[in-house]
Amino acid sequence: MIVSFEQVGLAYEEGAESLRDVTFALREGEFRFLTGPSGAGKTSFLKLIYLALKPTRGRVTLFGEDVTTAAREALPPLRRRIGVVFQEFRLLDHLTAFENVALPMKVAGVNQHQYREDVRELLNWVGLGSRLDALPQTLSGGEKQRVALARALVSKPDLILADEPTGNVDPQMGEKIMKLFVELNKLGAAVIVATHDLQLVDALGKSIMRLEAGRLHEEAAPMRGRGKLR
Amino acid sequence: MSSVSGIDGAIAETRIEDLVADKRRAPMRNLFQRLNRSPLLPEAGAGGAPLTAVIAVISSLASLALAAFLLIATAANSWTTELKSSVTVQVKGVDAAEIEARTAAAAKILAAAPGVLEFEVISSGDAAKLLEPWLGKGNAQSLNVPALIELRLSEDGRRNIGGLSESLRSIAPGLAIDDHAGWNDRLAAAARSGQALAFSVFALIMGAACAISIFAARAGLSANAEVVSLLHLVGATDAFIANEVQRRFTVIGLRGSIIGVATALFLLSLFALATRARGAEGFLLPGLTIGPGLAIPLLAVPIAICFVTAVAARLTVMRTLQETY
Repeated sequence: MIVSFEQVGLAYEEGAESLRDVTFALREGEFRFLTGPSGAGKTSFLKLIYLALKPTRGRVTLFGEDVTTAAREALPPLRRRIGVVFQEFRLLDHLTAFENVALPMKVAGVNQHQYREDVRELLNWVGLGSRLDALPQTLSGGEKQRVALARALVSKPDLILADEPTGNVDPQMGEKIMKLFVELNKLGAAVIVATHDLQLVDALGKSIMRLEAGRLHEEAAPMRGRGKLR
Repeated sequence: MSSVSGIDGAIAETRIEDLVADKRRAPMRNLFQRLNRSPLLPEAGAGGAPLTAVIAVISSLASLALAAFLLIATAANSWTTELKSSVTVQVKGVDAAEIEARTAAAAKILAAAPGVLEFEVISSGDAAKLLEPWLGKGNAQSLNVPALIELRLSEDGRRNIGGLSESLRSIAPGLAIDDHAGWNDRLAAAARSGQALAFSVFALIMGAACAISIFAARAGLSANAEVVSLLHLVGATDAFIANEVQRRFTVIGLRGSIIGVATALFLLSLFALATRARGAEGFLLPGLTIGPGLAIPLLAVPIAICFVTAVAARLTVMRTLQETY
């Protein structure tokens, strides 16, 4: 089991719950889309998984460990097993594209000559091989998106979370990014992609979770688009 | 098995398996440099320049306080050793002849005494001459000015001063022996309180350095909240983040305190030059030379400031991070 939620509720200070009684499980090798209108709690839902937020009630288990009761010291190793593509990229402005992508490796204490080539390859692969030294300010939205993507993948995570990964790129690149997630999923990573892009969701034929007003509804994989992009 | 080969463009061109494959190419030396020189916390974020300036001022003040402490110690030591080893004997009498006879007798005793290193007799006539500037020429002769004997004692002689006094007094009751003890004690007490004051100033300044570092670390953390939060999310431990912050503060602390100590040394050399130019050096401040006795303790100031800054910043960061998820 990669992630499991049991009756999870999340309330921001003094407010109504933004997530209510969410129960779900994500097994090894699963691929899910997370959809729903803006403000339905998609980002909060992902934040609970990548341990940016603590649920106000219920139980969250990550890689078999109950993170709602785990010691703080036990959390960093779990975070390192997750690759997140943040909606707003969250690149560090004072670091180059190369350094941004290398960040998770550096944080994990990996020696730089062990990941140097991987980072370079990864940036090459997302089409930014010539922009290793570029600072984020000098990159376009789509380029930033791809740096953020490379950073999420560099540590070969067991779980990949992406929050609107196609929101800032043209449809063609959006399609490529989605295909990439499918490929990574085939290589063994569990994937959750939060998106508005129902066309892409349909085309990939993966199962869908829909968040509406803080409640989660699971849907089976749609049949109509199955195979179209495969 | 489907593949992505149907999609054109950079992403699809390379297969994902290639990422995992160990395709080492010629080592890129500049990549090493790129990684080494980039701190994870931005330069400006941790309060760089203003903090460097404040730490420079603080360490300059700390150095001056420490220098004052050391100078008072050296000066007091040279004053008191000078005073301790010297004793003045006054030889009084009704007329010049009596004074002279008593002086000669005293000189005989002193010459034979083991603890006396040397002595100098200032006869009644010579002593009277010393008073001439005040009393006018010839006027002092009629006063029967006591003769003075200036002794330098060895350590043993100093300890047995009681015996020496007794044998001198046996010549005549009019012999007054002044071992400067009262003056010596007062000087030593003044020096001690001066030192205590200088040391408290030094301690206060170090306390201020601590407080400033804590304040700057907090400010640095909130200015870098986004960076810290991201490091946290990609799996950085508290210790990793604290190390980054500590490294930044060590650099700032070292840079600031070196500037500060250099400034203090410059000010002290100016002061030393000024006192020497006025000829006051030998009299009041015999120790004021920028020698190793002063320079080495002063060089400990940057190390201390650096340590205080780094530790304060580290503890602050660790405590702040403890409050996060």
